[in-house]
Amino acid sequence: MSTQRNLLLVEDEGSDALLIKRALEKTGADFNLSRLKHGEEAIDYLSGVAPFDDRETHPLPDVILLDIKLPRRTGFEVLEWLRSQPAGLSRIPVVMLTSSGQAVDVNRAYDLHANGYLTKPDTAHALQEMLLDFKKYWLQWNEQPETRLEAD
Amino acid sequence: MLIADFEQFEVLLPSSIRRGSFNAGTALHSEHVFRILIDSVRDYAIFLLTPEGDICSWNPGAERIKGYKPHEIIGKNFRLFYPPEDLATDKPGHELKVAAELGSFEDEGWRLRKDGSRFWANVLIARILDESGNLIGFGKITRDLTERKEAELQYRRLIEGVTDYAIYSLDPHGRVTSWNSGAKRLKGYEAEEIIGQNFSKFYTPEDVAANLPDRILETAAREGHYEAEGWRVRKDGGRFWSSVVVTSIRDEAGTLVGFSKITRDVTDRKNLLDQLQQHSRELELRIKEREQTNADLEAFSYSVSHDLRAPLRAIEGFTDIILQDFGVELPSEVKESLQQIIAATSRMNELVQDLLNYSRLSRIELKLESVNVKSAIRDACNELDRDVRSRVSVSVEPNLMVRAQSAILRQVLSNLLNNAVKFTKPGMPPSVEVAAYRQRDYIQIDISDQGIGIALQHQERVFQVFERLHNAEEYPGTGIGLAIVKRGITRMRGIVSLRSELGKGSTFEIRLPSA
Repeated sequence: MSTQRNLLLVEDEGSDALLIKRALEKTGADFNLSRLKHGEEAIDYLSGVAPFDDRETHPLPDVILLDIKLPRRTGFEVLEWLRSQPAGLSRIPVVMLTSSGQAVDVNRAYDLHANGYLTKPDTAHALQEMLLDFKKYWLQWNEQPETRLEAD
Repeated sequence: MLIADFEQFEVLLPSSIRRGSFNAGTALHSEHVFRILIDSVRDYAIFLLTPEGDICSWNPGAERIKGYKPHEIIGKNFRLFYPPEDLATDKPGHELKVAAELGSFEDEGWRLRKDGSRFWANVLIARILDESGNLIGFGKITRDLTERKEAELQYRRLIEGVTDYAIYSLDPHGRVTSWNSGAKRLKGYEAEEIIGQNFSKFYTPEDVAANLPDRILETAAREGHYEAEGWRVRKDGGRFWSSVVVTSIRDEAGTLVGFSKITRDVTDRKNLLDQLQQHSRELELRIKEREQTNADLEAFSYSVSHDLRAPLRAIEGFTDIILQDFGVELPSEVKESLQQIIAATSRMNELVQDLLNYSRLSRIELKLESVNVKSAIRDACNELDRDVRSRVSVSVEPNLMVRAQSAILRQVLSNLLNNAVKFTKPGMPPSVEVAAYRQRDYIQIDISDQGIGIALQHQERVFQVFERLHNAEEYPGTGIGLAIVKRGITRMRGIVSLRSELGKGSTFEIRLPSA
């Protein structure tokens, strides 16, 4: 029996969030999508502090799409924080989704143990193609690790 | 026997005579022995004078030194030996008077030989009294010290003649006792106005307040030597940077008798050194500024790549949504306009990307390595669209390696190939030749087309950013491609040049150091 998959999108840019959301919907809306606006919010969500303390309405995601350039805490800071958490939480797959294709950013992301790195394409059409592949890989084919903490 | 103040004679006699049996056996206390002794001395003129100064004895030493035979001189007055300037002041008379009153007189000075030549004489005149204490004459001992005097004079002239160094001496209290011409030149004082003054006059008020002159003498006295550099003050108040050596002078008994001081003006060297230091500080500052500028540029382009592209994605994305969701309901003019918007965002994206590449090319540190020319050309060709790829013919000499950065070389070649296939004559298919070959210590790569060519007056401009010779509808592009080529090749220590004729095609020539 398979439960509904949960995808967490951390993206500060409203129009980008909208386009990504629309492109994901076009792949068939068979998963939950939550969007957070900045790095601090992402850490609050993942640590389960208010207003994200109810795991029924704010479940731990199966995969996170994480932008790099974010207000308050950058994507790198969120990633570094996540990987330093106790086993379980720290296993959550993270795929960077960002404008920058610069080697320095790509390298840093993998150094901090990102599971993938995607560059936002210039056209809506290309974005849709990319996110279709993403969804298939991460929400369909990929084996998810156990992410719940013993304490939960 | 004559009773003279004999101990005075004794000091002047050579030690070989003083030693041995001289003051022992009584037999030696005879006038006869004494006569023999006097006659055997050749290095000293020893003779007797009457109270008036008339010569009444003459030994071989006197004959040798002064040149007179006994019969020529006995009976003559000893004033004969003095040069005119001494006679004018009656120096001989004065000497006799002093000797008569005090017992003896010692002096050094110029004296005349028989032939009129001068010699430097060390002279001792001792009075001779009879038993009742009446003056009956004088004994006179003269030594020829001309050689020593000449050496001393030569030495003094040597020091005097040195103008690049101030050489002077101080007494133990720091008062100036001698002054050479170099000292005069350096410090501005004449000898007569500075001799007797304390040398602290040459120091800055700050140094004097800090007791530096005293400390220098203390150090030199204690360690024998003091060496330093510092500011000194000229008579006119001007300052100069000096290099100073102070040496203590002690007599045979080890008593401090003064100091010698050698000072050199090294202001020029000091200024040069200061300037060098100033330059290096400025350089460091400029490097820091440049690093800051680079960091700013880095941050700027990072921001451009993130922020400038987000609205472009939004414009393109939402235009696409309108076309997708409402396309069927829209009049064809609206649809066309929306297509134009999408095309414009695409061009803008290319521009941003090219600008980023160009600015990154200026900033990044290049790691030059050995790059295979053949594979670089092949990689660049593979980036071309399949339909034009067959229009490019390549000929590369075997085993060509250049010092380059492979990604940049590939980008440069790719830009040039794109250029070559793009600027074709209307209706003509592209025809491009790539040739790579060795030229002495560099490798040349030529990329030639049969295209429209570039007029001579425009050939320099094509390598500048945003420089376009045609509008984007005729020949699309960002106007940055050749600027990237130029900067990339220059940063890899190569040269790019252009040979072209309007209507006859262009050849871009790259030269890179061979690896």
